[in-house]
Amino acid sequence: MKVLTMDDVVLTYPQTRFEKSKKIEPSKIGPVTIDFNEKEVVGIIGRNGAGKSTLLRLIGGVFPPDSGEIQVRGVVSLLAGVGVGFNGNLTGMENTYLYASLMGWKKKQIDEKIDDILEFSELGHHFERPIRTYSSGMKARLGISVATAFKPDILLIDEVLGVGDASFRKKSEKRVRDMIDGSGTVIMVSHSQGLMMEICDRIILMEKGEIYAVGDPKEMYEKYNKLLNLD
Amino acid sequence: MENASDAQELRPMWKKRSLLMAPYNFISDNLSHSYLIQRLIRRDLDARYRGPWLGYLWAIIEPILLTLAYSFVFVLIVGRADETYPGILMIGVITWTIFARTWTSTTRTLSANASLFQFTKIPKSVFAVSTMMTNYVLALISLVAIIPFLIMYEVSLDWRVVLVPVFLLITALTGLCLGMMTAPAAVRIPDIANFVNFLSRVGFFFSPVMWTYDMLSGRFGEGWTLYVAHLNPVIVPITQMRDIMFGTDSNIPDFGYGIWIGFVLTVVVFGTMIFQNRAHKVVAGL
Repeated sequence: MKVLTMDDVVLTYPQTRFEKSKKIEPSKIGPVTIDFNEKEVVGIIGRNGAGKSTLLRLIGGVFPPDSGEIQVRGVVSLLAGVGVGFNGNLTGMENTYLYASLMGWKKKQIDEKIDDILEFSELGHHFERPIRTYSSGMKARLGISVATAFKPDILLIDEVLGVGDASFRKKSEKRVRDMIDGSGTVIMVSHSQGLMMEICDRIILMEKGEIYAVGDPKEMYEKYNKLLNLD
Repeated sequence: MENASDAQELRPMWKKRSLLMAPYNFISDNLSHSYLIQRLIRRDLDARYRGPWLGYLWAIIEPILLTLAYSFVFVLIVGRADETYPGILMIGVITWTIFARTWTSTTRTLSANASLFQFTKIPKSVFAVSTMMTNYVLALISLVAIIPFLIMYEVSLDWRVVLVPVFLLITALTGLCLGMMTAPAAVRIPDIANFVNFLSRVGFFFSPVMWTYDMLSGRFGEGWTLYVAHLNPVIVPITQMRDIMFGTDSNIPDFGYGIWIGFVLTVVVFGTMIFQNRAHKVVAGL
């Protein structure tokens, strides 16, 4: 069953006055036409600046398209910029409520997850201390714990699984796998070829703001490596 | 929460919103995110006052110090001042501060929250409203500083005192909506934010902070100057609050109220319309 469809979606970045005066071609994403199905894991790969993260933000409803239509079934949640919105003066607990509300979750939903977040983040008594006293690894752990505590219907992940130490990375990956096994659809951007090859059913290869190819992970990585002239 | 399997139909992610409904959409968006607004207000207040030893007392100390400084300057220039002048001045300081702070911070709200807008789909106006409400809470705390003056002048307050927070809120809303008119353009033309900053500084002298409505009408009579002066949206609320708290009667003419109400309604309608139409489009370029 389709859970998200994109039909001829285009997003053109607003230009600065300098770009306009130099008549520089505006950067754009699209036209993109693609469907996502229930319980599938889709990876997005491509070079830096190919439009992977922007495509993810279009899917997540963060940026509106200039034209085309996106249709969705269920709740979409984007995991990106783990820790953005954290305030150093607030405690781990206060930042958890703030960050989760920024992700669109209601107080009651956060109340239900707070113990799980504390346990998963392994912060212990630090949870009640201002996060300016945290190491960067601790902040990342808190961020990913909050971001993965909730179970949306469609989960979008933008390069956030590589945070924390090796054991926490393993734990985060397992949590995402559990989410996938649960019910939802996952669409993710990652530079980790091993992870993408292992968990993705399909991969979208982006090039210059457009979908270059979609298909089997192994085949897509071969095409990607050719684009990068690695073969 | 709704599961994918529960919902039978695919629904459009972006629904077209009528521009004419912008004020309603603005209220509805913010009411449905009231919990986040509370969290953001607490974050901003904590960021400002959790560190200093005197904490929230600074919200009271600051207007008192400003009032003392302005009173000193006024006496220095004019030579004398009415004994109620410091209290009258303090109302001007508190009201002008909430207006100017809200106007300038709303103008910068899209750039200031750029990193958040890369991952959250929360309506952008929520962040502007939370800043306005933070300023409003601070202004209410600052009003405590007026109590000693009320006791000193032996003022007896009547029921109209409940209108004081209302006038403050309308002033903050005016600053918010003026800022919402300029915020999308300020993303691409940062000079706009600088210009608004400049206007907020110059506006201080053209607003009844150090002077009063009586001084204005006494100087210019009821000529065209008074009509033009009423285009300043803080004249009516500051004067009304002074009348309520110090028992004075400034006799603002009916046209004065008419211009003020018309101005506020116009900026609310255009501010919400421009912000609804432009804010989400410019964030992709941040």
